[in-house]
Amino acid sequence: MTVAIRATDLVKSYTPGSRALDGVSLEVASGEVLVVMGPSGSGKSTLIRTFNGLEKLDGGELDVLGVRLDAAHEERPVREIRRRVGMVFQQFNLFPHLSILDNITLAPVKVQKRPKAQAEQRAIELLDQMGIREQAHKFPAQLSGGQQQRVAIARALALDPEVMLFDEPTSALDPERVKEVLDAMRQLARDGMTMVVVTHELGFAREVADRVMFMDQGQVVETSDPASFFTNAREERSRRFLSQMV
Amino acid sequence: MNRWLNRSVTLVLTALIGWGLWSVLHWLLLAADWRVVVSNLPLYVVGSYPVDQRWRPLLWMVALVVLIGFTLLGPRRGPLQRWLPLIWLAMAPLGLWLVAGGLVLEPVSTRDWGGFTLTLLLTFGSGLLALPIGVLLALGRRSRLPVLRLSSTAYIELMRAVPLIAVLFFGQLLIPLFLPPGLEINRVLRAVLAFAFFAAAYIAEDVRGGLQAIPPMQREAAAVLGLSEWQSLQLVVLPQALRIALPSLTNQAVGLLQNTSLMAILGLVELLGISRSLLANPVFIGRFLEVYLWLAAVYWLACTAMALLARHLELRLDPLRSDR
Ligand SMILES: Nc1ncnc2c1ncn2[C@@H]1O[C@H](COP(=O)(O)OP(=O)(O)OP(=O)(O)O)[C@@H](O)[C@H]1O
Ligand SMILES: [Mg+2]
Repeated sequence: MTVAIRATDLVKSYTPGSRALDGVSLEVASGEVLVVMGPSGSGKSTLIRTFNGLEKLDGGELDVLGVRLDAAHEERPVREIRRRVGMVFQQFNLFPHLSILDNITLAPVKVQKRPKAQAEQRAIELLDQMGIREQAHKFPAQLSGGQQQRVAIARALALDPEVMLFDEPTSALDPERVKEVLDAMRQLARDGMTMVVVTHELGFAREVADRVMFMDQGQVVETSDPASFFTNAREERSRRFLSQMV
Repeated sequence: MNRWLNRSVTLVLTALIGWGLWSVLHWLLLAADWRVVVSNLPLYVVGSYPVDQRWRPLLWMVALVVLIGFTLLGPRRGPLQRWLPLIWLAMAPLGLWLVAGGLVLEPVSTRDWGGFTLTLLLTFGSGLLALPIGVLLALGRRSRLPVLRLSSTAYIELMRAVPLIAVLFFGQLLIPLFLPPGLEINRVLRAVLAFAFFAAAYIAEDVRGGLQAIPPMQREAAAVLGLSEWQSLQLVVLPQALRIALPSLTNQAVGLLQNTSLMAILGLVELLGISRSLLANPVFIGRFLEVYLWLAAVYWLACTAMALLARHLELRLDPLRSDR
């Protein structure tokens, strides 16, 4: 078993005196799906944003795919990590001035210097896989939220990442659109992608996660396999959180 | 009661408008003497440009008119459409070469440039210079480096606090001081530079408005795809920001064209300058109204063409409305 992400004692504080991450340690094996849950403000977004350098650490150490990051990290390792780690945001964040196809091929062409035709062919394949091939020549504003989020996933996958990070990918969607995005993610997990997913979707966590990590106030409260987490969580705080969810 | 009031107001207004129209028509057809315009048409167009070389500025203007027509009315797709932006950019150096001469053409001194040709050259030249300077200033004002941020801000605020005419006069006097001795630049170039540095401050503020409208998440999305900061700026942020700023940039362009008339005060014989020198001619003494009406018509036409082009560009750049 190789380790994709190893975090040791991560500390992050935005404002002096309060810690968004307060000594978080975890390991994600490659091929594993880790679901992160926790109440609002518990530090879930902050945590996965440190994984690709969107947030700088104030303490602790990260090893992402063999690249090390710590409080003193520079620009170069961050770009190396970003080339190998994909990320999907809650708000899709597609580029509104580019067509769906151009959204997906931008990074492969400009960052990885792939030939345009080859990048486009791959983009079409990915759109096909996401079930939205017909949308290739439209613009983001012409798509539904669920379609946009699947484009965002395709855009991240176009760089052939080894790890995918998801920050509440379905929280901005209408309930009837949630399933199509979760289905795409489920398929990705089945294909062996290493995934860290922040989500409130209990069904998805129960079915797809290899492990569930529960956070509160910047700390890891418990990490369990989904079956035991959802039926009898070890910690009182997890049980209270779960009872509010259903 | 109310109805009577309405009726009498309508009646009075109609009478006033009718009377106004009548006197204008009367003046236009009977009292006006259009010889001051008609017999001097070449002067309005090219100024005192050498007669045997006049075809050069004329050719440039015909090319411009054809290009405007093709852009506005031509087919929306096709091989030429892809090159259109480049052709437009090429019009400035083309005009400069045709008017100034050099290479195979006989050189013509800037002292002989004039009329509408000079007006257009001043507008194109200063506009093309001001846009990149303005974008850099806008980026500077949002920079993380305090030195860059403060100096850009200071420059923008200073320029916006000084009237254009003062900048133009200062430009004529100051620009030579900054140049190495021996290097001399002519009045037209000095005017273009001063004008561009002035307009850049206003353009910077329009571009900054556009930059501010781009959500920071767009930069993050570009960053996590591995784009460098420069790529993210060039491919994601600036294209969106400039699109948002386009309507106000159009305003700047129209203002630029109109403000070239201030250069008459510096002694440049652009459209207004040539008209004033014509009015000084005893033959045409007192024909102010004709000349200024004619000038108004020409400026109006040029500004309308610019506004139409800008509107066209806006539509083309809107992903949801252009049928690409
Ligand atoms: N950019 C920021 N500046 C200052 N404080 C921040 C910033 N981002 C997050 N925080 C604070 O850090 C803590 C953790 O926030 P974070 O966004 O990681 O929580 P979360 O678990 O993702 O919550 P949610 O479920 O609402 O998305 C919160 O107290 C939040 O107020
Ligand atoms: Mg969050």
